[in-house]
Amino acid sequence: MNDAIHLFAPNKVVSRNTVRWLVTFQLLMLVAIWVFSPTVFLPKPGEVFQSLHDLWFEGLGSELITSFYLNLQAIALSAILSLLLAYATVIPFFRPIVALLSKLRFLSMVGLTFFFTLMATSGHELKLFLLVFSVAVFFVTGMAEVVAAIPKESFDLARTLRMGEWRVVYEVVVLGQADKAFEVLRQNAAMGWMMLTMVEGISRSEGGVGAMLLNQNKHFHLSAVFAIQLTILVLGLGQDYAIGLLRKICCPYAELTLERK
Amino acid sequence: MASHTYGKTLLKIDNVSLEYDGRPILKNVSAEIKDVIRPGCTTGQVVGFLGPSGIGKTQLFRIVAGLNPPTSGRVTINGVDRPVQAGQVGVVAQDYPLFEHRTVLSNLLLAAGQKENDSKVAHDKVMQYLTEFELSDKARLYPVQLSGGQRQRCAIIQQILCSDHFLLMDEPFSGLDLLMLERTCALIQKVANMDELNTIIVVTHDITAAASVADHLWLMGRDHDLNGNCLPGSHIVETYDLIERDLCWEPNIITQPRFMEFVREVKDRFRGL
Repeated sequence: MNDAIHLFAPNKVVSRNTVRWLVTFQLLMLVAIWVFSPTVFLPKPGEVFQSLHDLWFEGLGSELITSFYLNLQAIALSAILSLLLAYATVIPFFRPIVALLSKLRFLSMVGLTFFFTLMATSGHELKLFLLVFSVAVFFVTGMAEVVAAIPKESFDLARTLRMGEWRVVYEVVVLGQADKAFEVLRQNAAMGWMMLTMVEGISRSEGGVGAMLLNQNKHFHLSAVFAIQLTILVLGLGQDYAIGLLRKICCPYAELTLERK
Repeated sequence: MASHTYGKTLLKIDNVSLEYDGRPILKNVSAEIKDVIRPGCTTGQVVGFLGPSGIGKTQLFRIVAGLNPPTSGRVTINGVDRPVQAGQVGVVAQDYPLFEHRTVLSNLLLAAGQKENDSKVAHDKVMQYLTEFELSDKARLYPVQLSGGQRQRCAIIQQILCSDHFLLMDEPFSGLDLLMLERTCALIQKVANMDELNTIIVVTHDITAAASVADHLWLMGRDHDLNGNCLPGSHIVETYDLIERDLCWEPNIITQPRFMEFVREVKDRFRGL
């Protein structure tokens, strides 16, 4: 009973069991709203699952693999590039460059696509470039802020332990912020899926769920659109969980002080 | 007075001045710490470094630690004709920083490895300190899982393992209850007396606690003009030798009337700064 009251009070920690009940209840509510919604444009669950079944036999699986592979490549590349750039901000020379790159997140892809097309040698490469650029500008912004927020005391501690400045960077910036790097990666990897549709729409020759989604949307097959969206959501959640798990394994200290674990 | 002699100079602050944007913060600060030798026992040195807030204690602290260079003058240790380098003097900051991404054992091994090339020797040294400071069962924990006292001990060990017998402690008595205060004082004396050359400088506002652990007190302040206005630039205005006053190395010294009288004297001087 107390736990039920705590659900509506600020900063209360509730038991795992209560959380399970809460999530189940809210999911059921969501399904109920979906099933009983009077909106004619919202396809019913049955229609969506029927579309999912049909799409699967039309090659949704292979399209998913294509998109997943592209996204994975883009995440890996943008993570490496962004981390290197963010870590490079310890050197004053790189700070204005990173600050400039960070500002590029306000730009639309329109127009830039042309330049990337000139640089790329294939459709896959073009999509990869676009995706890496789209994710990296956000990733580098987040990670550069993590590096900038490291308190002076952490650097001093390393220096008092006779570490040279490169070792200080490795210990304090790279190792010391690994948990935060995983968190930034997690948020930006999710962004990759969001950008995927747009990017795959620009170069459709290789296919992918993004291209499939745009085709279905063009013909107003809403149930198919929802089916693909649902698939992307499940895949994204899996990816999110995997990165979270990796963070837990590599940085077990990160969650020790949290009130809500 | 306890029988003692002074040995070589261990730490020398030689005419250190510091300016920020042309504004003097420290002005010709000079002081030195000598090895206190007592026949038949290992005695380290403890200096209490007192002064009002904003007087420049932290700035001098950072210069002595080799973290910041002074505008002029220099700090030398062990008579070596070279300014102190970061790492030679251990620093235990107020919030006892440790590498949060490393376990207690890993934090200490890292520190020991910085000074000791032989990893077996470094490991043995760490295990010895962990036992000595009652932290053996905490070796696999992360710093966030330690209590305040355990964290303090871990931070002290880390710095001792790496430094050349010198330890600067910033406000170690801040916010402690009576029991913890007594424990911290005992800990400081224990660390100091682990080696003849161990030298601890305690930066604090707590005059009584500082006087109870220290053999010398440095009082930092500013000079005043004829109208009583503070002149810019702080320096050490008073040095108290507690050994000469027979206020050192005596158990329960804080209960002695002469100790209370001394604390009163320092407090009066402190108020006049």
